[in-house]
Order: sequence, then C-alpha cells, then structure tokens
Amino acid sequence: MLQAPYVTSYLSEHFADDAYGTLEGYRAAGGYKAARKALTGMSPAEIIEVVKESGLQGRGGAGFSTGLKWSFMPEGDEKPKYLACNADESEPGSFKDRILMERGPHQLLEGILIAARATGARTTFIYIRGEYAFPASQLERAVAEAYDAGILGKNVLKSGFAHDVVIQRGAGAYICGEETGLLESLEGKKGQPRKKPPFPAQYGAFGMPTTVNNVETFCHVPHIIANGAEWFRGFGTEKSPGTTIFGVSGHVNRPGLFELPLGTRLDEIVFEHAGGVPNGRKVKGVIPGGMSMPILPAGLLDVPMANEHLRERKTMLGTGGVMVMDETTCMVRVASVISYFFRDESCGQCTQCREGTGWINKIVDRIERGAGEAEDLDMLLDLAGKMEGQTICAFADAAAWPIQGLLRHFRADFERHVQGRKCPFAESFEL
Amino acid sequence: MPRITIDDVELEVEEGRTVLQAVDDAGLLMNGVEIPHYCWHPKLSIDGSCRLCQVEVEGMPKLQIACNTPVQDGMRIRTTTDRVKSARAGVMELLLVNHPLDCPICDQAGECKLQDYAFEYGVEGSRSREPRRALKKNVDLGPTIVFDQERCILCRRCVRFCDEIPGTHELAVMNRGDASVIETFPGQQLDNPYSMNVADICPVGALTTRDFRFKIRVWFLEDVPGVCTGCANGCNLHIGVANNKVHRYLPRRNDDVNDTWICDEGRLSYRRIGAADRLREVQVLEEDGGRRVAPYAEALSSAAARLRGLLDGKGPGVIVGIASAHATNEDLFTFRRLLDALHIETAGLVVVRGAADELLLKAERGANGAGARALGFGDGRVVVDRIRTGAVDGAIVLGHDILDAEHLGGIEALGRLDTVIALDSHQSSLQRVSHASFPVRVPAEKHGTLTNWEGRVQRVEPAVEPRWEARSEGEVLAALGAALGLEGFSEAWDPREVSRALSEAVPAFAGIELASLPPGGAPLRTPPGRKGRRAT
Repeated sequence: MLQAPYVTSYLSEHFADDAYGTLEGYRAAGGYKAARKALTGMSPAEIIEVVKESGLQGRGGAGFSTGLKWSFMPEGDEKPKYLACNADESEPGSFKDRILMERGPHQLLEGILIAARATGARTTFIYIRGEYAFPASQLERAVAEAYDAGILGKNVLKSGFAHDVVIQRGAGAYICGEETGLLESLEGKKGQPRKKPPFPAQYGAFGMPTTVNNVETFCHVPHIIANGAEWFRGFGTEKSPGTTIFGVSGHVNRPGLFELPLGTRLDEIVFEHAGGVPNGRKVKGVIPGGMSMPILPAGLLDVPMANEHLRERKTMLGTGGVMVMDETTCMVRVASVISYFFRDESCGQCTQCREGTGWINKIVDRIERGAGEAEDLDMLLDLAGKMEGQTICAFADAAAWPIQGLLRHFRADFERHVQGRKCPFAESFEL
Repeated sequence: MPRITIDDVELEVEEGRTVLQAVDDAGLLMNGVEIPHYCWHPKLSIDGSCRLCQVEVEGMPKLQIACNTPVQDGMRIRTTTDRVKSARAGVMELLLVNHPLDCPICDQAGECKLQDYAFEYGVEGSRSREPRRALKKNVDLGPTIVFDQERCILCRRCVRFCDEIPGTHELAVMNRGDASVIETFPGQQLDNPYSMNVADICPVGALTTRDFRFKIRVWFLEDVPGVCTGCANGCNLHIGVANNKVHRYLPRRNDDVNDTWICDEGRLSYRRIGAADRLREVQVLEEDGGRRVAPYAEALSSAAARLRGLLDGKGPGVIVGIASAHATNEDLFTFRRLLDALHIETAGLVVVRGAADELLLKAERGANGAGARALGFGDGRVVVDRIRTGAVDGAIVLGHDILDAEHLGGIEALGRLDTVIALDSHQSSLQRVSHASFPVRVPAEKHGTLTNWEGRVQRVEPAVEPRWEARSEGEVLAALGAALGLEGFSEAWDPREVSRALSEAVPAFAGIELASLPPGGAPLRTPPGRKGRRAT
C-alpha cells in the first residue's frame, strides 16, 4: 500500500486511517450522504448544474469541464447509457489515482453514483490498469460491500435508482488510458483509440452513450454535492478550482503525494513539500504534470500549478505528476527514455505517430551515443511539429511535447553531445 | 441537401456523408478534386489512420481528415493551402522512412500509390539517416497472396476487407507502434474465395498475387474494359493485355454490379482465353466417323446441305437449337433469327450451374443467360430431354455445357443424331460427334453485349485477337443462313448493326445499343423474372 499523502485536504484527509477504506469507516466519516442527497433530492439537471458551477475540470490530463462533459450525454433511455471510470493511470510520474483507490474506494464509488444519476447511466465500468493488482482488490472488496449494503444494485440507497459497477482489469498499455482506447480494450479488442466523430457520448462502450471520467474527477464530486459549488471554488484558482493530489518523484528528499490546491507554486511543491533536492545538488529541470508534459528548467519553477499559468510557460498540469531532475541529469538521456517509451507505447494506427515516435527515438539515441549531427536538433523539432495535432488521439502530441520542451530549455545539452561526439554526463549509463 | 465548397468546386451532397465520400459520390475524387488517401476505400469502413487526406476546413483550427469529417451545409474546404501541402509532405516523408524503396524490383511500380503520391505530394530526398525496419519478405499468406511486410504502410485496407467483405477475418495488425505488422492469425491462412482483392486494394506492393507477380511490368499492359464471363453476375473488369495476351483481370468499379470486387475464380478465368484447349480449327466429320480439318466455306456448305436434307426430308420439327450463356446478345439474336427463318421451334438455353455465394458469384456459370432468356430461349432441359429420348434428328449446338452431368452427361445421345452442328470456343468431346464444328471467339475477343442476372446489359470489346481463324457465333450462324439461301442473311456480320436491329426488334432491348452503351451498362426495359433473379 502506498504511503498516505504528506499533505492532505478534503480528498485525502482520512487516508491515514485504514478503516476509511471499509464501508463502515467511510460511513463514519460521513460517506454516502452526498450520494443520498443527489439520488433522493436532486434532479440530474441540478447535479450537472452544480458540477458546472463548481468549475471542476477533469483530472485525467486534458482538464475539460466535467459538468459540460456530462451534459453531452443524450437524454431519454432509448439505449442503455454507461459510465467508464478511467483507472488506467498510465502516465509515467502519476500515482494519485492509485492512492485514491487503495485508501478511499468508497469515495470513488460515491462519486460514480452521483455521476450516474446525473448522466442516467445504468452501469459503470471501472477500467483499471493490470499492474494495479492491489488497488483493484481494494475496489473489488468495496464494490462487494456496497452491493451487500444496498449501495449498488437494483435499488441504490432505497432511492429506486439502479446502478451496477463492473471492474475490468487492463493488460497494461499506455494507450488504454486514452478514453476511446480504453473503450476498445474494455470491449475486449486491441487497445487503440477510435476516430472521432462519433464521440463516446454518442457511441461509447459497446456502442452505447458513454461518459469517461478519471478516478480523481469522480472523487471530487461527493464533496461538491455535499458542500456546494461555492465551497469548492474556495480552493484553487478562479479558473482552476479545487485541490489535486500531486505525485512528486525523482531527485527529491521526500518523494510522495501531496494534496494541495490548484495554483500552488511548483517551486513550493518541490522545495517545501517534497523537501528539495538531495545531496546538496541543484535542480536542473522539473516535468510538472506527468511525462508527456513539457519540462521546465530550474529558473521557471515559480509558476502556479494551474493550466492558465502553466500554458504561459508552454506546458500543462497534465496529471499532476511532478518529476524532478537534478543537475547531474543528462537531458538527452531523458529524451531517449521518454522517446523510447512513446515509441514502444504508440498504438501504431496513425502514420505520424507510428513512424514519428520511432524516428525521433532513433535520432535521440544516436545523439546520446555521440553520433549526432548539428542539423538533427532542428529536424527533431520539425518532426515533433509534424506529429502535433494531426492524429486520431493526443498520443502523438504527448510524444512530441516533451521533446519540444527539452530542446527549448536544454538545447545546450544536445549541442554538447553533438560537438563532443559523446555524452558529457559521467553517470549516464549506456543505452 | 447540404452544399459545400471544395476549393472552387461547389457540391450539393447527401446528408450524413463525409467530405471524402461526398467528393467520391460526385465522381470527382482524384479526378478534379485532389485529396490523396491511403486507408480510405469507398467500399470499406472509414479508418482515419493514414492521415494523408487532411484538408483545411474554414472555422476549424486544426486540419481535418476528409474521410471522417461529416459534411455540413455551407462548409468551405481548401485542399491546396500551404498547411495542407506541408501536412501531406510530412505524412509522405514518414511513410518512406521505413519503406524499402525497392521500386525497381517491386511489382507495384507503375501503379503504386506510394510512388505516385511521393512524386506528387512528397519532398525530394530523405532526411533519415537511421536504419530501416527489417521485416519479413516473401511471406505466404495463403494459396493466392504473397506478402512483403517491409513494403506495407499499414493502411489496414486488407484487414478491413477480410473483416467486412468475405467476413473471414484472417488478417490483423499484430504488435503496435513501429513494430506493427500485418499477419494472419496464428495457424490461419488468408484463404477465401475473394482473397485476391486484397492485392488490388493494397496501395503499395506489399500484397501481390501469386498469379501475377513477376509476370510483366504493369506499364507494358494495355487496359481494356471487359466483363467477367465466369458467372451470371457480369463483374466489370480491367483486362490487362500485352503482346496480344491477357495477363490479368482486375475488377473495374461498378457500384450496380460488383462494387470494386471480383471473386478469385472469376479473376483467374482469364487463363481460359489463351488456354491450350481452345478450339482452333474448323472440323468436319467424315462418313467413316473420322474427323478432318476443313476450310470454313466447305464446312459451312456441308452443314447447310445436311440441314437442308433434314428440313426437306422430315421438316423443321426434328431439328433443335441449343443456346449458350457464353454467347453475346448479338450472337443469340442472330441465332434466334436463323431458327425462326428455318421454323425451328424447339430451342432453349443450356447452361452449367454451380454453387452461388452471397457476395457476387451466381449459380449460373455463364455471362449471358438472362440475355438468352430475354431473346426467347427458354429452359433448355426440355430440349435436352428430346435429344436424350431420340425424338430429334438434328441439333445446332452453341457451347458444350450440354455435355455437363446435369444435362446429357456425355456425347452418346448426340452421337445418334443425323446432324450436329457445333459452335464452341474450347475443345471438348462435342467435336467427336459434330458433323461441322466451328471455333468461335470468347467475349474478350469481340464486340458485343452481355446481359447479367439482373438484366443489366454490358458491353465487351476485343482485348485480344485470336491467332487462329475464329468468328463470333453470330457471324457463323449468319453465314449458315446465307448458305441455306435464307433471305436477310449474309456472310457479312457486324455486331453494331445486329445490336441496332435487336434494339428495334425486341422490346426488352429498346434503347439499348452497343454503340451507345455507357461504361457501366444499362438495364433491360423488362428485367428478368423472379426465376432469373434467384441466386440458386
């Protein structure tokens, strides 16, 4: 089980208490009151309105308005409607959903029930990555408890509302975290994103209207329903309300999870909460939101962690996975690791992504081996530019952005490799 | 109906279509509106993965793929802007990064979309210094198709074809990213009656047919439009000809007949044209039962004399006519006129039948059964029975389908007749009992029309010229009429004139003329009855 967050707020305040993972413990902490309120006292439209007003943005990386997304679901019940909970958490550097499932599975189920009421969904599929064996077992236990207690099933909390939750374990592919790749995999097919249109709200899981939300997104919902949109807006920034659980990893003294309001400055997270860089070294660069987000150099860490601010520095919040690298880090080596990951994980449908990720990885590796040429650097940027925004899903963008970020801020590292015809970093191991 | 503008072309399009579909519907795709594409195919589901068909849509910040962008009224699309050109060039460069560029030894060269589009939309030279992917070469996917994994650009048309058209699901993309390869499922072969279509829809030289590969460079081939004669469906063909030899059949798109497909059996039936068993000589039967090659004129007068003898002795009632589904409407119309002029009333169509499928293949293994019926040739089984029971003395027989087990099952019954006059394109035991035997042309060797099972009349023209003395059935029958001294029959026989006479004489053919028939054919005025429509 993962260490509970060092800094907590409403999402994680009870996570240090093992009992909170059980139905009894969750109820003792006030759990399922919001669901009862939503199911017995609010119309779907009212729920959606409150969530819209709260300004909750999806916490899976894209940051889309959750209330708006719910409103895309068709009305009426000609076809069964579904929710899908994206528990694939495949973004390297991200491990917040894991703690939310390990230590607060009922909080997630409560959020799912409220979202189900809002969207008219009859069933939720929780798609959880294959590597998450323990979180999956916690979820399975909580789902069983909920069925036994009448919180799931034909008559949820005696409200007359029916809802089922099905847990589906994936086999561990990055692309299955993309919402339509997830749906394909859920259906038992090869995990590769679907072309859009049609969008999941029209044609989702098994061809039925479906809304896909991230684990953390669901977890915020009971608190919004219980305390109101105004309360929620008391956290975070005006445009990015609420908290999030930042996962900090890499060269820091205290790696782990920290629930902080959106808008908390990145340098505060790195140096205060995560304890700064060990061994008296200096920070070189920080990836702010999971591996696909462009890196920021040491001099640009005074930025509030909210998309409206991060965008000004050409990066994004992503999944809030903060990855810290100290001054001994070879940024070409970083590019090599990242580009290998994306080359390996590309589903291979779209030309730009299939061929571009492989080509970029080969060029970067060649530079790292000391066989790079001066023109390779601009060619990398050109290739990244040609991959961006041209494919079925955002994977190609996710593969292009980190390369663009590394060249934007650490071009000197690349140039030293080319000029010296070898990697200048002593600790850089062989590829 | 929504109106859209593509560059300077305004189109009224059907609701619910995508931009690429709308352009294709209008017949303008790559024929006025240039939207290059690989994964999209008009008869397969939309894939959206090659990303080559990106266009600029006014009001949308990103480029959109034309294949999957639904049309909206007032939509303005640009296909020639710098952004579009740069995106296309980007796709082309990336597709070539791992392509072996072995065009000099690739069968597809000359009709390769990768080659064509690289020249048209790509950039010169490659910036790649990296080693290319090494993958499997010369893979036997099944009995008909050979696969080169390195040439494959993963458009997945072949995978969708097997999933969606024959529904046999043999192929899939294995692995992912730049390790993706197309393979058959373990233990399976690509083996279905339509398998060779995957080679046609493969835009590159990755999938080639065992039949055609390494035979001839495609730029030596002349493309003659034709119609498959393997069954009553009448699938449209591109006949590939060089040095007076047919080297291949490819399906020619006709949405009313065969979409873009053809069955493997039909595709390989081109081999019958130049086959060793073609009937090449006019033959007559001597009194002692021996066969002899004879001059055409001699055989004609011999046949006329025998017929005249029977007519004068026993009357037309002892002579029957057997029509063939392998002859054209013009041939059969001349036959009809000859029979009528001789007052021969017992005549019918005899054709071999086989299994039909739900896609294209029809039970009737002949291209013009419906034409024969439209010209009054009824079910020939009645005629066959009369021959079998010895109720007739003479027969004019087109083709040798009558020897099939379903009909006479051999030559014995015909051997008992006083007079058998046979016209056929291929050798068979029929010649052993024919008093006069004439070699005739197959549809790929002559002008004419064929009527498919649905009553669609389609045109054929000579793709090759027989290297021996061969005529159309109509020409032989017209000359026979002349030799019999019948009015209105002469040795000169022009299928265009016959077609005109046919369209005037037979109401079902009104308005349908060889000279003016559109490339996709035209339906008969009176479509065949339900019987003709039955698949089996």
